[in-house]
Amino acid sequence: MHPLLGSLEAGPSAADQDTLERLLEGRVDPALAPPGYSDLARLVAAMTAPAAPEELAGEQQTMAEFAAVMRSTPPTLVPRRTAVPRKVFTMKAAAAALVAVLSVGGIAAAATGLLPDQASPVADKAAASTAAAAAGQGLGAATSVELDEAAQAGLCRALQAGQGADHGARADTPAFQALAAAAGGAGNVTSYCENLTAGAGAGTSADGQGRESAVGPDAAGAARAGLCRAWRAGQGADNGRRADTPAFQALAAAAGGADKVAAYCEDVTAGAASDSQGQASPPSVSAPPTTVSPPSSGPPADPGGPPASTGPGGHGQGGPPTTS
Amino acid sequence: MWPPGPLMLGSSFPELLAAAQSGDEQAFAVLWRDLQPAVLRYFQVAAVGAAEDLAADTWLSVIRRLQQFRGDERAFRAWLFTVARHRTIDWRRQAARRPISSVPAEQLAEQRAPDDPVLQVLEGQSTRAALALVAELPADQAEVVALRVLGGLEVAEVARIVGKRPGTVRVLAHRGLRRLAKQLEAAGLAEGVTR
Repeated sequence: MHPLLGSLEAGPSAADQDTLERLLEGRVDPALAPPGYSDLARLVAAMTAPAAPEELAGEQQTMAEFAAVMRSTPPTLVPRRTAVPRKVFTMKAAAAALVAVLSVGGIAAAATGLLPDQASPVADKAAASTAAAAAGQGLGAATSVELDEAAQAGLCRALQAGQGADHGARADTPAFQALAAAAGGAGNVTSYCENLTAGAGAGTSADGQGRESAVGPDAAGAARAGLCRAWRAGQGADNGRRADTPAFQALAAAAGGADKVAAYCEDVTAGAASDSQGQASPPSVSAPPTTVSPPSSGPPADPGGPPASTGPGGHGQGGPPTTS
Repeated sequence: MWPPGPLMLGSSFPELLAAAQSGDEQAFAVLWRDLQPAVLRYFQVAAVGAAEDLAADTWLSVIRRLQQFRGDERAFRAWLFTVARHRTIDWRRQAARRPISSVPAEQLAEQRAPDDPVLQVLEGQSTRAALALVAELPADQAEVVALRVLGGLEVAEVARIVGKRPGTVRVLAHRGLRRLAKQLEAAGLAEGVTR
């Protein structure tokens, strides 16, 4: 009698049960199955055959949902024990990138002027490294970056704030590479930055904890206007895709929604000189106890993407928009 | 053979998960591509006719709560299939469906058409055919077979998901396999398939 069917009456033997368990675990090769089990082994093999193309047909839609959900939810920085792979990017970093772009010295502002607890060096350094790394990322999303003076000053301040902390890692980001290029070499960056921030007249203290008032009144508005101009210029062309880049996602966040960007940009360019945002809310940067490795460039952005820093090189009071 | 083993993504899973939780779409796509076929096939057993929709619903739930998930690859699969099972329950309630009761194998053998699933399985074809056969089992047997085989889940995990004792899960799975074996055997004899 069929060994397996016989066991229905006699009760399963231990050997039967063991074979059944192995079948359920996919560990029985149909060609090598014990007598009477080859059909079952074939059935299990058919159940677990490699994916057919039609089974992966829903990918685009699912990824669109993923992107939509992730855009509307600020992700938490997940503490990890292992090093973060270089492809990781965070929405928080993207939002911080806009902070850096919109407010000259915004990185410094984030690091010093806007966090509730200013005195905490951990918060400063974490914010600086997060924002700077994010700036590097957001800037890196557009290909070869031409940093204007205002953005360079901001980067310099971040560098100074972080000196001795993640300095080495941060130097790898595209933004700081661009700064190094402007300075004429990585070794020149320190002195270049000293000149730049001193010349900006923003009483920077070099110890990185300096509670400096950021910069003049206009850069935030000017940079925002620049982004808005770029966005408007792209409308009808790659606008949809460009909406996926971190900078424009942050612009959408600032506007309070991707569908509000148009109205927001009208407001911004209409009253370009004044920051109508009023009171700046601090970006929600958490200071994780573990070291945050700065993420590097995220997913490829539209190569015709938004310019990273825009507008005249004026200086504006850092007024980063709410990012959450 | 697929899955190659219990841990399909292995050492790359933690990085992929972390990246996905941070919003990295490419990382999430890797996870999805690895697991979507199994999810679809589970529904082809547990909710015939609604597989694509329920799979999509499952992933949406997972995406929405992705950032709260903590655990390894095994835990992730267990969570994924827990969500999938909830969708099945909801679907059954809405459709007021009753569990499919099995027809004795001999009757099935007589009813078989030439291109029917049993023959296809016997001849080494068709994932769909295999799943259709499993779907004909009593629902409680079908789902544990599906969760073990397709989900790559251990008895204890399946037991947690279906809310039964591990011993019960083991018995149900074995009964399901034996019933399937009987079907295959009877149909093979009836059609004169030699092995």
